[in-house]
Amino acid sequence: MKVDVDMSICLLHGQCVIAAPAVFSFDDAGGLVWLSDVDEGLRGDVEAAADACPEQAIVIG
Amino acid sequence: MTQADLTTPDAPYLDVADPTFSIRSAEVMAARDASWYARTPYGLAALRYDDVQKLLRHPKLRQGSYRWPAHSGVTGGIFAQWWESMLLSQEGDTHARLRRMANPAFSPKLITDLRPKFQALANRLIDQFAAKGECDFIADFTEPYATGVICDLLGLPFEKWRELADIAGEMGLALGVTFKQDLPIVEAATARLLAYAEELVAARRAEPSDDFIGTLVKANADKSQLSDQELLDMIVLAIFGGIDTTRNQIGLAMAMFIEHPEQWALLADQPDLAKAAVEEVMRVRPTVTWVTREATEDFTYNDLPIAAGTTVHLFSQAACSDPAVFANPDFDITADRKPHFGFGGGAHHCLGHFIARGDMTEALKLLAQRLRNPRFNGTVEWLPDSGNTGAISMPIAFDPS
Ligand code: HEM
Repeated sequence: MKVDVDMSICLLHGQCVIAAPAVFSFDDAGGLVWLSDVDEGLRGDVEAAADACPEQAIVIG
Repeated sequence: MTQADLTTPDAPYLDVADPTFSIRSAEVMAARDASWYARTPYGLAALRYDDVQKLLRHPKLRQGSYRWPAHSGVTGGIFAQWWESMLLSQEGDTHARLRRMANPAFSPKLITDLRPKFQALANRLIDQFAAKGECDFIADFTEPYATGVICDLLGLPFEKWRELADIAGEMGLALGVTFKQDLPIVEAATARLLAYAEELVAARRAEPSDDFIGTLVKANADKSQLSDQELLDMIVLAIFGGIDTTRNQIGLAMAMFIEHPEQWALLADQPDLAKAAVEEVMRVRPTVTWVTREATEDFTYNDLPIAAGTTVHLFSQAACSDPAVFANPDFDITADRKPHFGFGGGAHHCLGHFIARGDMTEALKLLAQRLRNPRFNGTVEWLPDSGNTGAISMPIAFDPS
């Protein structure tokens, strides 16, 4: 499963980091990093993150 | 380091504790133009867009009202216990766990199903006064609407709205300056809401469903992730946090449109603008005018040392007319804008925002079409302009239909 974040609308609330910590995290500088190719087993978490994103910036491919 | 050492004496001072202080005043705008922050009797206030955005999610700041009962001299009792354990007062792992458990009940998918109910509710309320050509917009529309939305969410019949609004209002006395005197009322109201939540949960346990409560009950299947008490606390928070905010925000929307009749006419002609209208109203006239944060440890921001324990108010309202970001800040529902902070931001970003955005969009769409030429029709009674603001009563007149 492909995962992408539209960084032109992401506001770094970190709701995806809360919803799917195995996929999304903050680096030391506070930037968002994520796995772009995610195991199907984590689909539930990724979908929960996409739903929880206040800006609806997460794209699941 | 003491509080007094924190700030340079030349930073503007804003007396936010003065009852006549207005977060919309020229004084605040001038402070924002002069400095990114101001000193206040409580600590600091961040005034500009970029700083509010960064501080909303700053790792050294936590949500700042978790000690409210103790600050008001209230220790112990079920309100204080609820306040200290509920989502908004939690941080870190516990906050993340509770939020993960609650998320599915607040997902955009669940809200889509509620939209026809929101429309029916708005129409039903408008039907009662449309022919008269006048109403009290708060008593006759925003209050029953905001509470009726929560009834829809909880699966309660609309007829329950008055009772729910009264209990929530009594519990809301906890946020006022007379909290300590009102404590017996607050405690009784909290007990009633918790009992209400318990009844709703029992009904869904007996008959599982995919609605809001049913989804929360499912999350409670694993008690280590969401305990029975946490489940009830979450339901009480949705009721407590969802009613006054929505009531106030729709009232503020009407006030903005009465002051900008051409925008109301535009919305009536182009109902698809309703979604953008909600955002624009929340940018210029948010009900939550600031959010409160507290420093968890000493840190430096913009060369300013901030000591652990310092309260930092983030002035969402002032930030969203910051000329550095909004070259033309005038109310315009067709303008392409940067996001506002009316729902806060970061880890505590409003969990109910899909619901609130959905119900306010449906309400504005129908109101603009059915109430033409709205105008004030008597004296509007307002809450103070800062903190959580809005109208208590708003007599309006419009063309009868
Ligand atoms: C126009 C209506 C609303 C406005 C303006 C609003 C505003 C806010 C704001 C500003 C916060 C963040 C507070 C902070 O960071 O200190 C918040 C949090 C919250 N809101 Fe709303 N809200 C609204 C409607 C709702 C509704 C309808 C619900 C539930 C049905 C709700 C549930 C919550 C919850 C549970 C939180 C806590 C989230 C957390 O701590 O993680 N809100 N709201």
